[in-house]
Amino acid sequence: MIRLEGVSKVYKGDVVALRHATAEIQRGEFVFLVGPSGSGKSTFIRLLNREEVADEGRITVSGKDVGEMSSWKVPFLRRQIGCIFQDYKLLPKKTVFENVAFGLEVIGRPRHAVREQVPAILELVGLSRKADRLPDELSGGEQQRVSIARAFVNRPLILLADEPTGNLDPGTAVGIMRLLDRINRSGTTVVMATHDRGIVDSMRRRVIELDRGVIKRDESQGVYE
Amino acid sequence: MLYRLWYYVRETFTSLWRNLSLTLAAILTVAISLSLVGSSLLIREGAARATAQFQEGVEFIVFMRADATVDQDAAIRTVLDTSPAIAGYAYVDKEAAYVEFQQLFSDKPELVESVTAEVMPPSYRIVPANPDAGNVAEMARQFGEQPGVKEVATATDAIRQIEDFSNRVSQALLVAAVVLVGVSALLILNTVFTAIGARRQEIEVMKLVGATNWFIRIPFMLEGTIHGLIGAGLAVPALFVVDRRVLAYFQESDAVPLFRGFAVPEGFVWDTGIWLLVIGGVVGMIGSAVAVTRYMDV
Repeated sequence: MIRLEGVSKVYKGDVVALRHATAEIQRGEFVFLVGPSGSGKSTFIRLLNREEVADEGRITVSGKDVGEMSSWKVPFLRRQIGCIFQDYKLLPKKTVFENVAFGLEVIGRPRHAVREQVPAILELVGLSRKADRLPDELSGGEQQRVSIARAFVNRPLILLADEPTGNLDPGTAVGIMRLLDRINRSGTTVVMATHDRGIVDSMRRRVIELDRGVIKRDESQGVYE
Repeated sequence: MLYRLWYYVRETFTSLWRNLSLTLAAILTVAISLSLVGSSLLIREGAARATAQFQEGVEFIVFMRADATVDQDAAIRTVLDTSPAIAGYAYVDKEAAYVEFQQLFSDKPELVESVTAEVMPPSYRIVPANPDAGNVAEMARQFGEQPGVKEVATATDAIRQIEDFSNRVSQALLVAAVVLVGVSALLILNTVFTAIGARRQEIEVMKLVGATNWFIRIPFMLEGTIHGLIGAGLAVPALFVVDRRVLAYFQESDAVPLFRGFAVPEGFVWDTGIWLLVIGGVVGMIGSAVAVTRYMDV
């Protein structure tokens, strides 16, 4: 599903974000990216949906070379990849329903599809009753659920999560992880960058550890260390 | 499809409304600059029509009396054919004069109906070898004394005055207009830029979930185009005001008799209006396209 071959990325000022990274992630896998701040976790994720372009090496996502892809095709790549973030990136003036619907509307889904899919996904993330709330009326965990709903409403093949529990207390974080686990079990590949030792250790999924841009460890059913 | 169209319209007008003060500034600047462009074109056209008889080096016109005899006419023609002071001439007979009259006063059918070809004076349009003003005046005086000549109109004073006037005014207007069109493009660019800035977050999310660049761009480009079109739409009535008030004033004034020919047919005013709409739309689209491209590259 995802393959990196000798991928390097250097930012201005010779900041190495990723060095000769090689990894392969199968369809339906759940992968944790761990490592200290600045180790290249976010760059790893941003390269996959082409928010960044690698300086060296090759990245393929569901059989397509992401680096070589012409820019007009990038939106179609991103429709196959859902993204969630530490800061949720919800639109503050739109309700929960509208935030999720927005993700479908702007890729040109017809109105009836929006009407059917949005309530279904809100049901899945457990926010049916809060569809008409604004984001700032919700708790952090609920906001992250909205963002997951928006990322998943289009049923992407891959879900990328950059520190999704970074702003949440441990109890709430567990709830979010259960949700991501459920999404993963439905066949979606999940790649999640995290600092959260407790989560990684309790889930026992594949762990890729990055250190100053280098893949230091890649274990199935690993722990944080 | 309809849903998407509705989306574009909704987004565009939300944004226009949110940005009201800048939007109004942009629209008014477009309106003013295009009014000037239009006025300049109208004055040019008016002047060209008023001086139509004096194009291509013609410096004076000898109008024969409608009832001049063949001999009187032949005498004039002999002088024109033989005199070294005459570089060339053209004869306009009654029919041709009538056709020209119809064209010049095409917007005043009652005036056209009140005359016939029979009463139109035939004329000689004369290109002198030496177009110096004093020389032309002297020749005009001499022709004026010939039998059968009704009157002699010289280009030197009235016509040159009108040409000069229209050139200066229309050029000044055009320069101001070009500057202002540039200003309006910049203002539209800025307005669209502000609109984009106000929707940063939305654009970020749109890119993230895979909206195409065109889908993101179109509402902003529509916004700029609408600024241009509304501005041009306001300039069109201004054109008619210029036509009815300013040009009409010249036509009615007796100060310079030739100004009376300073009429622009209504069709020309409409055509100019359509051009203004095209210019307005294009300026708006270009301004917003620049703003969008500068901001959007991923």
